[in-house]
Amino acid sequence: MFGRYDMDEQIRNLPDSYFELVDQDQLADGALPTTPIGFFKDAFLRFKKNKVSMFSFWMIVFIIILSVIAPFFNRYSYVQQHTQLRDMPPRIPVLEKLGIADGTRVLTNRRKANIENPDLFPPASVLEVFNHRVVNGVEVVDAVIDMYSYRNAKDVYFWFGSDYLGRDLFTRLFWGTRMSLLIAFFAVITNIIIGTVYGAISGYYGGTTDMLMMRITEILAGIPYLVVVMLFILLFGTGMFSIIFALTVTGWIGTARLVRAQFYRFKGREYVLAARTLGVPDRTLIFRHILPNSVGPIITRAMIAIPGAIFSESFLAFIGLGLQAPRPSIGILLSDGQKVLLQYPYQTLFPAVLISVLMISFNLFANGLRDSLDPTKRGEE
Amino acid sequence: MLKYIVGRVFAMLITLFIIVTLSFFVIRLMPQNIFDNPDLPPYVVEILEKKMHLDKPMYVQYYYFLRGIFLEGDFGTSVKIRPSLPVFQVLKSRLPISMLINVLSLFISIPIGITAGTIAALRKNKLPDHAVSLLVVLFISVPSFVFASLMQYGLTFLYPIFPTLYNPSATTLRQLAMSITLPVVALALNPIATVARYLRGELIETMSSEFLLLARTKGLTRAQAVMRHAFRNSCVPLVNIVIPMFTGIMGGSLVIESIFSIPGMGGMMISSINAGDHPLTIAILIFYSIISLVTMLIMDISYGLLDPRIRMGGRR
Repeated sequence: MFGRYDMDEQIRNLPDSYFELVDQDQLADGALPTTPIGFFKDAFLRFKKNKVSMFSFWMIVFIIILSVIAPFFNRYSYVQQHTQLRDMPPRIPVLEKLGIADGTRVLTNRRKANIENPDLFPPASVLEVFNHRVVNGVEVVDAVIDMYSYRNAKDVYFWFGSDYLGRDLFTRLFWGTRMSLLIAFFAVITNIIIGTVYGAISGYYGGTTDMLMMRITEILAGIPYLVVVMLFILLFGTGMFSIIFALTVTGWIGTARLVRAQFYRFKGREYVLAARTLGVPDRTLIFRHILPNSVGPIITRAMIAIPGAIFSESFLAFIGLGLQAPRPSIGILLSDGQKVLLQYPYQTLFPAVLISVLMISFNLFANGLRDSLDPTKRGEE
Repeated sequence: MLKYIVGRVFAMLITLFIIVTLSFFVIRLMPQNIFDNPDLPPYVVEILEKKMHLDKPMYVQYYYFLRGIFLEGDFGTSVKIRPSLPVFQVLKSRLPISMLINVLSLFISIPIGITAGTIAALRKNKLPDHAVSLLVVLFISVPSFVFASLMQYGLTFLYPIFPTLYNPSATTLRQLAMSITLPVVALALNPIATVARYLRGELIETMSSEFLLLARTKGLTRAQAVMRHAFRNSCVPLVNIVIPMFTGIMGGSLVIESIFSIPGMGGMMISSINAGDHPLTIAILIFYSIISLVTMLIMDISYGLLDPRIRMGGRR
C-alpha cells in the first residue's frame, strides 16, 4: 500500500476521518495550560541561572566580535611595517594622560652624557632622570624616555605597541585571535561531523562492521597525538588548512566513541523497534530517531574541544609549525613575544591575557553547558 | 592474564611498526634535501648519499632503514645538528635532563593534587573548596607556556629569585634545583589541577554512598570516614588519570624547554625539524611514540590487574 521510504510521511498525512474513538465519544484531555518546554528551552533555562557560564558566554561573544571588527579600528594592517618604529611601547590616547600606556620606557644603565646630549635624546623625550651613580668613573643614570617623541612620532599611536618589525600589535593581536578561532572552529566542526557519522554507522550496525571500524580507531588512537600532528604538518607544509587537518586526523576519534556508545544504548529501545517495524529505513532511524539523543553530549564535547584546539594551535606555533610568516595567530604572537620577554614584556602580556581569558571562558562555558544539557552530570568534571 | 599482556604488547608493536613506516615515508617525501650545503663538492655528496643509501629507490631505502632499526638498533647518523654523530648518542646526551624535569613534575603534582582535591571534597561548598575550584579552572585553562612566561618575568627579572635560563654548568645540587624549579612548576600546574579536580569529584560521589554512612554510624568523624574508606576507593582509578598525564607533560615540555633554554629533547626536536636533519627527526618521533605507547601499555595492564572486567581492552 505504501512505498517503504515515504512511510513516515504517509502515516503522518492520514486524514482524520480514518480514525475513530473506541470507548468514548470525545477526548477528555484538555489542552495543556502551559506552553510546552522542549529539550533546548529547558537546557537554556537552566543555563541562564548559571551566572558564571552566562558571563563566560558573553565574554566569548565579546572576543569574537572584537576579532571581527577590531582590526578596522585603526589605520594599520597586520603586515604593514614601520622600520623606524620598532618595538614601540603601548600608547593609548586617553589612558596616556593617566600614566598608563603612555608610550614611555625606562632605560637603565645609560651614560649621563648620552642622556643629556640633545643629538641623541631630544630634550622633550627625556621625562625623568634618576638613580645617579658612578660606575668605573663614568656617571650612569636610569631615565624614563618617551619613545614616541624620541623617535619623532608624536602623532602615532600603537595601542598595544609594535613588534620587532614595527607592526601594530593591536591589529595583529585581533587578527591573530581571528585566525586562532577560525582554526579551532573549523577543526572542531570537522571532527564532530566525521566522528558523528563514523560512530553512528559503527554503533548502529554493530557486529563485524563495528569490530573493524573500532580496530581502525584503536590503531589511529595509538599513534601519539603530537607525532601525528607533526608528521602531517611536515608533509603538507605550514598553513591554515594543514593545521586544521592535522588537528582532525585523530581528533574525531573521541566523538566517534561517544556517538557509538549512545547508539548502543538507544538502538535496542522499543521506540526504535516500533519505527523499524513500520518500515522506516536505516538512514532515517540513524539520523532522525537515534542521533538526536546524542546531541547534548556532542555539543558539550565540541565546546570542550575548542579550547583544546586553540591550545594546540598556539603550541604548534611555539615549536615553529604555525602559520606562514606575516600571518599572525595568538600562538605566533606569544612565541615572538617570548623571545624578547625581558626587554619588552608587553609584547607577551596582551596575547597572554587574551588567550587566558579565551581559554577560561570556553572551559567555564562548556561546564555550564554540560550541566544544563545533562543535569545528572552536574558537578562532575 | 599473561595472554592479555602478550596481546597488548603485540598490538603495541603493530602500532609502532605503522608509526615507523609513516614517519619514514613522510620525512623522506619532504622536499628538503639532506645535503643542501653549497660548499660540499658534488663527489662528497655522492659518496655520502651512497653511504646512506639515498641513491637507491625508496623501497630499498626503507628496507635498509628497517634492518638498521630492528636488527642493529642503528638509527643512522645525524646530518646537520651534530654532524656524523650517531643519532642514538645525540639522544642519549639530551635525554637525562628532559626525563628529570618530566618525572619530577609528575611526582610533585600527584601529592599536591591529592591533598588539594581531598581538602576541597571535605570542605565542599566552603571557602577552601571554592579556592581549589578557582585554581583548578585557572591551571587547566591557561596554557603552561603562559605560566612559564609569567614566572620567568616575575621571578627571574622583577624579583630575581631564580636564574632566568637553565644553567648547564650547574655543579651543586642547589644550583641545579634552582635552575629547574620554574620549568618543573610550570609543567606541574596542569597535572595538579587535573588530579585535584578528579579526586574531588570522585570523593564527593563516594561520600554519598551507603558504606560511608555506615562508617559514620559506627562513630567515625567525617574526615576519618573519608580518609579511611572513601579515599582508598578513589585512589585506584587515579592510575588511569596519572599515567596518560605523563604523555601530556612530555608534550608541554617541548615548549617549556625552549622557553628556559634547557638542552633537552624538546629543543632537539624543534631544531632538527627546522634544519631538516631527517635521521634525527625520525629517531625523535619514534622515541616519543615508544614512550607514549609504553605508557598506554602500562595503563592497559594496570587496568587489567585492578579490574579484571576490562581485560580485553577495546571491548568496553
